[in-house]
Amino acid sequence: MRLRDAARVIRSKNAGPTQVTIDLMFDDPKLYARALAASSMKPAVIAQRYGVADAEVIPYPAASAIKIVLPRRVIAGSPGDTDVYGAQQHRPMIDVEI
Amino acid sequence: MSTETSFARVIAKWKAERGPLRILSASGQLGYGIIEKAFRAGLERDLHLIGADMGSVDPGPYYLGSGKLATARRSTKRDLRMVLVGALTLKVPLVIGTAGTAGGDVHLDQTLEIIREIAREEGLTFRLATIRSEMPRDLVKRQAKAGKITSIGPMPALTDAEIDGAACIVGQAGTEAFVRAIDLMPDVIIAGRACDTGIYTCLPEKLGFPMGPALQMAKIIECASLACEGGGRDAMLGTLEGDSFILESMNPQRRATPMSVAAHGLYEQADPLSVAEPEGVLYLQDSRFEAIDDRRCRVSGGRWVPTKQFSVKIEGATRVGSRAIMVAGSADPVFIEKADVIAGLVEAQIRELVPPKPENPYTLYFRFYGLGVVGGQPVTQKPEEVGVIVEVIGEDEEEARAVAATAKQYLLHAPFPGRISTAGNLGFPFTPPELTAGDAYRFSVYHIMQVDELAPLFPVAVEEVG
Repeated sequence: MRLRDAARVIRSKNAGPTQVTIDLMFDDPKLYARALAASSMKPAVIAQRYGVADAEVIPYPAASAIKIVLPRRVIAGSPGDTDVYGAQQHRPMIDVEI
Repeated sequence: MSTETSFARVIAKWKAERGPLRILSASGQLGYGIIEKAFRAGLERDLHLIGADMGSVDPGPYYLGSGKLATARRSTKRDLRMVLVGALTLKVPLVIGTAGTAGGDVHLDQTLEIIREIAREEGLTFRLATIRSEMPRDLVKRQAKAGKITSIGPMPALTDAEIDGAACIVGQAGTEAFVRAIDLMPDVIIAGRACDTGIYTCLPEKLGFPMGPALQMAKIIECASLACEGGGRDAMLGTLEGDSFILESMNPQRRATPMSVAAHGLYEQADPLSVAEPEGVLYLQDSRFEAIDDRRCRVSGGRWVPTKQFSVKIEGATRVGSRAIMVAGSADPVFIEKADVIAGLVEAQIRELVPPKPENPYTLYFRFYGLGVVGGQPVTQKPEEVGVIVEVIGEDEEEARAVAATAKQYLLHAPFPGRISTAGNLGFPFTPPELTAGDAYRFSVYHIMQVDELAPLFPVAVEEVG
């Protein structure tokens, strides 16, 4: 099952200019648990997918959601950036198999 | 007619009645157009405070560096007029944070100038308190040397050269600064760079409300109705009861549900379970969300732990050069197939025709939209069309424009193997297709600075307007 078929919301946004955060929100707590347990959701696997040194994966059971925090490759708005708000960095997660 | 100010009035009124505090968040981004209907509905609710946030680091380093506002002056003035007239007519205190997008002195002063202009036009008289947020550079250097400054995320350690080179360095004022402004008993408080929470926590703090729930409420309502199902920019009412608070959008169609409010805790936060403020940390592990009806939600559980060591988030922007861009598109399949190779050839040609200065070379970026520029991964299928932006950052406008114009001409006519469209590779949407975009900046400071005292960093002042 792909994340896009399991999650209601897959979104990304800066958390300050040096980090980007990706939120995955699920209507079904079972799918939330399934995503959380998936090997594709391990921090090292996500970091590799995004080509960054490390990733943090934070469960947020209050909203059946998972937060991913990544360092930005380019600090927001610095030369070479292509997404100042970080609002389009969810793309690599959409088709992830869980 | 009483001459007491708005803060004096609501503080006296609350002390006589006790009971909950009704706080209206008029906007999370004043200057982009406040939705009037919801704001007016909020004014009907016997308010103790109206707040609005005016900025953040989200729009990038340009505004902090250049001293300009992200919002258009006309829209900014419209919104400021709406909240000023609304608040002063009812004698409800008005608190505005991060004036002029970035909250430096120049941004605050431009905002104050608009406010005085509105006061003249509307015949308003009021007492105005200001909070300034620019950081003294000698202090920042001292704290850096003393090891009291830490990077946020992948930000390099702060050097003296970086501190001196920044066009502007601001710090985020917290609740403490706003409370000092309340002590001046104004009608209106306008702050430079500030934690958006301080706008809404200062009155609860002044009146002795527990800080945990007050801060948790502030963190949610500062985004107006964004915590409702499907989001929204309408004014949001927070009713602080003490250990809990109630959220209600002033647009009857927006529903604050336990799930939507809980989910909002994730928004733009690296850590959804703790929020660091200058004076302490808010912990949200024990949050409870309970529906009152289908559009109001009661929240509790925010736990506040004050710290002994104060800390301030500091932000600075440094000029990196002058920017020019070239905008075009291509519908040619051969060009699209070979875009990256063509870009390499054209770049080499440009560097020959406009030689970069060895001591300060310009930078050049070719962006082919449709081929994987935006989303962080390559596309699997070549598109029918691509958008093309060539971005140049040069030493000055003349150099940047020269490089962009050369890029335009040589990309248009670049020869490449298999070319069938020999009269031109690009379609331009307008003329001139190369545009100068002013100075370019980068965030050079985004750090946490430990300090022993907050008050000297954020001086407050008061003036009578009108």
